[in-house]
Amino acid sequence: MALIRMEDVRVAYTTGSRTRTVLAGLSLAIEAGEFVCLLGETGCGKSTMLRLILGAEQPVSGTVEVAGERVRGLCPKRGYVPQRYGLFPDRTALANVAFGPEMYELSVAERLLPKFRGRRREIRRQALELLAELGLDSHDANKYPHQLSGGMQQRVAIAQALIMNPAVLLMDEAFSALDPSTRASMQALIRRVWRERGATILFITHNTQEAVMMGTRAIVLAREGDESGSKIALDMELPGATDPEWHARDARETREMAEHIAGFYGGAKASSFTLRPALAAS
Amino acid sequence: MATGFLNVTARPARLPIWGLSWTIFAIGIAIYLYSSEKRHRENPDDKVMPSLTQLAKGAADAALKPAEEDDDVAYANAGWLTRLHTSMLWKDTAASTRRFLISIALMFPAVLLGLHMGLFPYIGALFLRFVLFFDKIIALSLLPILFIAFGIDELSKIMLMVIGVAPTIILDTVNLSRSVPREQLVKALTLGAGAFDVAYLVVLKQILPRVINSIRLNLKPLMLFLFAGEMIASTDGLAYRIALARRHLAMDVIVPYVLWVALLLFLADWFLRVLNRKLHPWFEEA
Repeated sequence: MALIRMEDVRVAYTTGSRTRTVLAGLSLAIEAGEFVCLLGETGCGKSTMLRLILGAEQPVSGTVEVAGERVRGLCPKRGYVPQRYGLFPDRTALANVAFGPEMYELSVAERLLPKFRGRRREIRRQALELLAELGLDSHDANKYPHQLSGGMQQRVAIAQALIMNPAVLLMDEAFSALDPSTRASMQALIRRVWRERGATILFITHNTQEAVMMGTRAIVLAREGDESGSKIALDMELPGATDPEWHARDARETREMAEHIAGFYGGAKASSFTLRPALAAS
Repeated sequence: MATGFLNVTARPARLPIWGLSWTIFAIGIAIYLYSSEKRHRENPDDKVMPSLTQLAKGAADAALKPAEEDDDVAYANAGWLTRLHTSMLWKDTAASTRRFLISIALMFPAVLLGLHMGLFPYIGALFLRFVLFFDKIIALSLLPILFIAFGIDELSKIMLMVIGVAPTIILDTVNLSRSVPREQLVKALTLGAGAFDVAYLVVLKQILPRVINSIRLNLKPLMLFLFAGEMIASTDGLAYRIALARRHLAMDVIVPYVLWVALLLFLADWFLRVLNRKLHPWFEEA
C-alpha cells in the first residue's frame, strides 16, 4: 500500500469574484522509501501539494492519506523543512532540536519541574547525538541560529524534523538559499539520511540537476490555466532508485536528463525516458 | 561631493562623536547661565531663571527637607538618611513611582491580549475593531469620566495611564505576533506543540524583546498621562509638586524636579534595555 495517496484532489482559492484553481483532479501515490523530487514553475502548486500532505491545508475536494490515515491537520508523523525561518531564533540549535520531543513526550509539569530533569537531559542527549550525526559538534549545538551559517541552520532544521522519526520528510526548497558548495554537501547529507534511515522524502526543488542527482523519482507539475489548474506533466523514475551513485559516473546523462525534465516545465510532452503512469491506477 | 558635516559616508572618530554629542548641552547650559546672570544683575530677586546657587539650594531643600504639608513632623535632629527618606522629593518620587509601576504591570495583560488577537483569528476578530476604535479616543478627554467613575484617588490616575497606552501596546503586540513567520508556527505544530505552546513558547518568547522595546518607547506617554492625572487631582507625586511650585513661581524647585523626572525616565529605559539584553541574548536588535 502506498505511504502517501492523493485521490482526485482539487484546491482552489477565491479572491473577490475570481476563483483560481491550483490543483484539479490530482491523483498520486508515493511508496515508502521513495525520494520524490517535485518540480515545476513558480505558482504551479508544488508547495500547495506539500502543504496538503503536511496537513497545513485542506483540499476543496478529494482525499489525502498518509500511512492509511486521512490527513486532517498537522502532526509529528510528517516532518517539515522549509526554505528558511524554520528555526526558532530564541533557542540554541540544541534546544531547537529538542523542542519536538519536549513538546510531544513531556507534560507541562515534566517540562518545568526539577524532578523530571533526567528525562529532559535524556532528550537533550538524543538531540546532541543527532546533531553530531548531521555534522554539528557540541560547540555549534549551543549556538543560536543567527550565529550559524545557512548550511548549519538547515542541518539543524533537518535534525529538528528527523528527531520525531516522521513517516515522511517534506522539504520545501530547503536548499535554495544555500551557496553551491554548501548545497552540494547538504545534498550528500540528505542522500545519506535517506539511505541510512530508509526515509520517505518529498523534496521540492527548482533545480532539475539536483532532482536528477538526488531523487528516485521526479514529478513535474505544469500549470494549464486558472480554471483547469496544474496537472502532472511528468512522473518519471530516476536511475538513483536502483543505483544511488550513478550520477557520479555519468555526468553527461545527468545533464541530459535534467534538460529533459526542464522541457516539461511548460506542460506535458512526450518523454523518451521510462515514465511511470500518472498514478490514477495505483 | 559634500564633505564634513554633510558627508553621508563619513566615519567620525570616537572623540569627535563624544564632543559633538555634548555640544548642544554645553551651549544650552551656557545660554541659561548667561541669561540668568543678566536677569539677576537687573533684578537680584528674579525667580524666573534661578542661578546655580539657587538651583542647588532648591534641589537640596527638596531632597533633604519635608514637604510643606509635612512641616509638623519633627526632623530637626534626624540624620541625613532619615531626612532624605522623609523628604519632599522622596515622598513625591515614591508616590509617582508606585503609580508608574502599577501601570507598567497592567501592560502585561495588554500584551497577552495582543498576542492572542494576533495569533488566533477569532479572538482578533472579536477585539480588533474595538481596540482600533479605543485607540483613536484621546485618553485625556476621558479624564472627567474617569474622575466621575473612579473618584479622584489612585485608580482614576492609573486607569488614565492604562487607557492612554494599552491600546498602542495591544496593537503593536498584534502586529508583532503576526510578523512571526508562518513556517515557524507550522513547524512547531508538526513537532507536537499545541496551540498554547505555540502562543507562549514560540511566539511570545520571540516577540518579547520587541514588546519590551515597545514599552520602552511608550514610557514617555505613560509618564505624560501620569503627570496629567497628578497635576489635576492629587495630593502627592512629582507632577503635583511641579504644579504646586508653579503657583509660587518656584523655578528653583521646578527645574530640579524636571531634571529628576528626566533622570528617572532615563534610568527606567536603561533598566529595560539591560534587562532585554540579559533575558534575550539572541536578540540582536536589543
